[in-house]
Amino acid sequence: MEKYDVAIIGGGSTGLAALKQLSNLGKQAILLEAGSKIGSKNISGGILYSKKPRKGIVTNVEQVFENFLDDAPFERKITKYILHSTSKDKVYSMDLTAAHDYQANFGYSVLLNKLNSWFAKQAVETAQKFGGGIIPGVHVKSVKWNEDGTAIIQTDELDEFEVKAIIAAGGVNSEIAEMTGARPKFTPMQLYQGVKVIVKLPEKIIDERFGVSSGEGAAHLFAGDVTLNHIGGGFLYTNRNTLSVGAVYHLDSQLRNPTEPYRLIDALLKNPMVSEFIKDNVPVRADIDKSLPQEEQLRIRFAVTKLIKTWYDVRENHLSSNEKDEQAIADIKAKLSFVQEQMTAKYNVTFKTDYVEAEYGAKLIPDGKRCRMKKPFFKNILFAGDAAGRGIFIGPRIEGLNVGIDDGVRAANAVARALDKNDFSESFLGQYYSQSLEESPYTMDMKQIDQDYLKIFLDAARDVPKDIIGSRYGPILKMMSNRTLRGIAVKFANVLGYDKLLPMIESEDTYVKVPIELAERLGKSIPISYSPSILSIADRISKLSYNDDHMPHIKIRDPDSEYMKKMVILCPAKCYSEEGGKIMLQHEGCIDCGTCSQETDWKHPRGEKGVNYQYG
Amino acid sequence: MTQEYYRHLYVVIEQIDGKILPVSFEMLGEARRLFDDFNARYSSNEKVVAIILGHNIKEMSKELIAYGADVVVSVDHPEVKDIRNIIYTKIISQISTDKEIASKIEPSYASEFKKPRYMFFAADSIGRHLSSTVLVELDSGLASDINKLVIRDLEVTHQIKTAGKPVNFKKTLEMYRPDFSGFLWTTILCLDNRNNPVIERDYSPQACSIIAGAFKPISPDPKRIGVIVDYVPKIDEKDLRVKILSRKVIESEVDFESRRAVVGFGRGIKDAPEKNIKLVEEFAKHLDAEIGISLPISKNVYPASPSISSTYMIPARVIGTSGRKISPMLYVAFGISGASQHVTGMEDSEFVVAVNPDENSPIKDQCDIFIKGRMEDIIPLLLEELKQQQQVVQA
Amino acid sequence: MAVVVKLEPDFSEGSISYNPDGTLNRNETKSTLGPHSRIAAQAAFYAKVKYGARISVASMSGHVANTALQQAMQTCDAEVLHLYNDVLFAGADTLGTAETLKAGISKMEGKMDIVFSGHRASDGETGQTGPQIAWKLGFPFLGHVISYDVNLEKRTITVKRLLSLQGMPDVIEEVEAPLPVFIAIDPSYKHSFDTVSERLTSEKYQREAYERAKNYKDRLQVFNSEKLGVNRGLIGLAGSPTIVYDVQRVPKGKATRHAEVLDGSNPEHIRKAVARMREALSAMVTK
Repeated sequence: MEKYDVAIIGGGSTGLAALKQLSNLGKQAILLEAGSKIGSKNISGGILYSKKPRKGIVTNVEQVFENFLDDAPFERKITKYILHSTSKDKVYSMDLTAAHDYQANFGYSVLLNKLNSWFAKQAVETAQKFGGGIIPGVHVKSVKWNEDGTAIIQTDELDEFEVKAIIAAGGVNSEIAEMTGARPKFTPMQLYQGVKVIVKLPEKIIDERFGVSSGEGAAHLFAGDVTLNHIGGGFLYTNRNTLSVGAVYHLDSQLRNPTEPYRLIDALLKNPMVSEFIKDNVPVRADIDKSLPQEEQLRIRFAVTKLIKTWYDVRENHLSSNEKDEQAIADIKAKLSFVQEQMTAKYNVTFKTDYVEAEYGAKLIPDGKRCRMKKPFFKNILFAGDAAGRGIFIGPRIEGLNVGIDDGVRAANAVARALDKNDFSESFLGQYYSQSLEESPYTMDMKQIDQDYLKIFLDAARDVPKDIIGSRYGPILKMMSNRTLRGIAVKFANVLGYDKLLPMIESEDTYVKVPIELAERLGKSIPISYSPSILSIADRISKLSYNDDHMPHIKIRDPDSEYMKKMVILCPAKCYSEEGGKIMLQHEGCIDCGTCSQETDWKHPRGEKGVNYQYG
Repeated sequence: MTQEYYRHLYVVIEQIDGKILPVSFEMLGEARRLFDDFNARYSSNEKVVAIILGHNIKEMSKELIAYGADVVVSVDHPEVKDIRNIIYTKIISQISTDKEIASKIEPSYASEFKKPRYMFFAADSIGRHLSSTVLVELDSGLASDINKLVIRDLEVTHQIKTAGKPVNFKKTLEMYRPDFSGFLWTTILCLDNRNNPVIERDYSPQACSIIAGAFKPISPDPKRIGVIVDYVPKIDEKDLRVKILSRKVIESEVDFESRRAVVGFGRGIKDAPEKNIKLVEEFAKHLDAEIGISLPISKNVYPASPSISSTYMIPARVIGTSGRKISPMLYVAFGISGASQHVTGMEDSEFVVAVNPDENSPIKDQCDIFIKGRMEDIIPLLLEELKQQQQVVQA
Repeated sequence: MAVVVKLEPDFSEGSISYNPDGTLNRNETKSTLGPHSRIAAQAAFYAKVKYGARISVASMSGHVANTALQQAMQTCDAEVLHLYNDVLFAGADTLGTAETLKAGISKMEGKMDIVFSGHRASDGETGQTGPQIAWKLGFPFLGHVISYDVNLEKRTITVKRLLSLQGMPDVIEEVEAPLPVFIAIDPSYKHSFDTVSERLTSEKYQREAYERAKNYKDRLQVFNSEKLGVNRGLIGLAGSPTIVYDVQRVPKGKATRHAEVLDGSNPEHIRKAVARMREALSAMVTK
């Protein structure tokens, strides 16, 4: 049997950071990823932060990946962070850029497929020097232990092999966590369900529309009627030449009153402010004359497809910030008008205002406040990132990627120390890692309310009439606006703990009612210039790329259960249907989110199988 | 009279475990028809010569004569029991240039004989490669996947072959090769270089590989008389260096034989391949039918998900000359235009229904019911009606 | 080791372009490594990972073959790329083509142990070239190969071949041959790397190949007929026994059945069609 020092399970940002860090420390590690390519299974909101907490130390992305700032394919540096309250056509906006900047070096919008591929490239170059590397397309199905404590990894694809330690970074639906009993499956109360679409928009249009200079970007958050009465909200982040538009809601709120996840996205897209953000000039094909000979019809169809493709390419080039001399600009312009002329004159292509959706996706997000693993290890396995239920969601503070990267580094350091002493016992490896996580500022932030951070909100909400929030949060507000009282209140709140405070704050009032009232009383009306032709869920799924597995990776335990009946609505890929009172699954369109995992035998698809995101 | 170095039509027979493949009889049938006419037209006495290699194959020679061979050259040897390219190529080439054999075939042509005039091979997993290597050894041309043959005198003008001047080529074999759509025929000729000041060359035999199912065998006549030549090959030990370790028969997942109905689809899926194939799938399920395809579908030109394309767009499902021949009680063809290569595969079906938007497509002449319309429109209607009628029966 | 690849039109929508007369416009249509050639290159890559083989790639045709060679290099991390380009090569049939490729492969540095080729091309080639090159090289030809393994000590190769013959069930034949050999890879060819170390090696080579292929021109060697030292009488049109004489439409076959024509938009007609189908299935026909 082949032997290696360390195996990292899962090639997301956490696992890749762990691999890079172990390699930086000169240790041999191999990373196993189920997707056919690193990044193909990863999806995030996504903003990646680099932080500088006042107390404690975190390892940031640019410390693990040295040339991150010079070379990494991040999208835009977020310089505007705005929260909008919506009601019909009215929007009331609050600038929270100060909260975004709070203790931050930067926050970049990112697309995970690209970014994780880049991380992988960096990590693998170092890993190779020490006999390690990355193996995509491999799904770990179980772990066994030898008498001497070394672990044997069994996969669907490879001969089994032996390792001294494992870092489990398989994400929110970690099979290793459940298999070993290290933690139970997360419950709906501990999870958010996020759905996201990628909208295409040329770079320069984004610069102009969002009032940002080249390379910089904006993040917009939404609450109010766009939530369709759910606890959570919407977001819109600018990428270089795309937008990430998403909706994130508490899964238990969704279970109480199920709404199709894609309808929550649609509600957001139809909000006038969002509709105006995403709009673009879109070519529309003319119907082909059916009386023409079939070969001719085919020829026209192919010619139009090719022209439209060229048109998008040329226009993209025209509206990108690539350095071009004047001659080049003129050439591109000429080519664009030539192609456009061909389209309209020869093939009757017309243009209309609409939006272009490139990719739909979904994922579960562990609510770090509620599901952080208290004992993030089992034997010689360390759990990190989403797999360990870690992530920060406090009001508009949304951080996951940076937490995972820091975790990955901590796990790597703990394993490196164990390799040096050749001691992989729970007391030496696991406890040490657990201690390290407890000391992490990201963990501390979950336990204690930061009054300075709180003040930013109070300042932002200065103009909000007291009576709107007064009736609900009056006493708290009064305490908070007074400097001395605020200190006492925060102390008192910290004694109570997040567990007790959360239901008060994360409520329908906060996400739905207050924002609606704000928008109605103070909001500006946004005129709408068109109505976006929103894709159906069937079209969204058919645009995704899959490598179907004929063997289902999910098994329904009880086709009569109430929970499963709700999956007919809550599955973001509409994989469930009800026939004669029984719930049936069609696994081919599954996007591996895990929403149904609560009451199914749920596994990730085998190596290389299932969905492949192009953006993520 | 000018000298003729190239005589007769040699047909390379294929047999597996003592069973002659149907394509071999088909080739003999076509050879017979061509040569009866050839000998009459050119007042000659050239022969259809079957070459068969194997072990314990004595009985087969008579069968080949019954199917139209004038002469059978048989090689019965343990080393040629199974087909192996090198040794087969060597022996077939020996036979094709052997004067002693030529004298047994037809003594009056033997003294001048150099090589066969024509040669036929099967266009299958064996013959396609065998023909290629034999023709390198015999240093002549080869046309592959042929389904029509004509012999005639032709005047040809060609830049290289005739240095741009018209030359009359006698007894030329026109070899017709269908393209993959089945609607275009390319005629291929194997011609000597004539009139060319630089390179004057003979290219014989004129050889081709023939698609299985393209020609009909003649009805066998056990009383036919022919010559059997037992040839003892010269075997060079180094030509036996490829060893067959095992042979394993695999059962096909596609079962056209035991199903009463077969549903086929063709290029009519093009507007929505994925969706249309799913419709066909559902329709077939209701009839308990196997699913077949026309040849172009197996070329993966239509985009569909991997599971669909790996299940349906595969050569094992092709109905036609380059696939399987079927004879179900019911054959339903969706969006198949009916290229002759497909028709050959389905013409023995008892009852044929075709769905096609184009009333001029050739399939109309090959079916019992022609429903005019696009498959995406018609299949849902048929399905609904089928469910209804099936319900009535159950009630 | 050598891989023979062929450049083919990219048939995907958006890439393909037609002339007004409906024929393929080869100038505007993007060219790509043919799918069969790609599989051959993948099969060669297996030998590189498993046995540390050195790979050379060979291709015919004009400057556009560069794309195919680059793609082939990405696929199999070839160290040498051969391109045979000369007007004298043009118009060759399989025999003439085989002569050129034989000459090219013989020119490759080092001894070729295995030559790989695709099964056939999707734009009309016939699968004859492979066996003909093999015969000219004096290598055993093994076609329809779905998997293979090499025994380096014995210098032999064991391959599995998939044989499909009319009227017979498919057969998988296992064959052993001494090196050198010429193998043609079946479309259903598959290999897998089963151990972590093989996978790590494979990933490493793939990544490196991708990087190296950016500068594929450094490894490109272009040959004309003179440089190859081929006999002009054996290549191109002069070395081709066969010519394409004519292209015509296949005439419609004779009507063998007389169809009843039904209108798909008429519910009554649909009912009738279904009834007739059911009747056909229930008929007590003994076949």
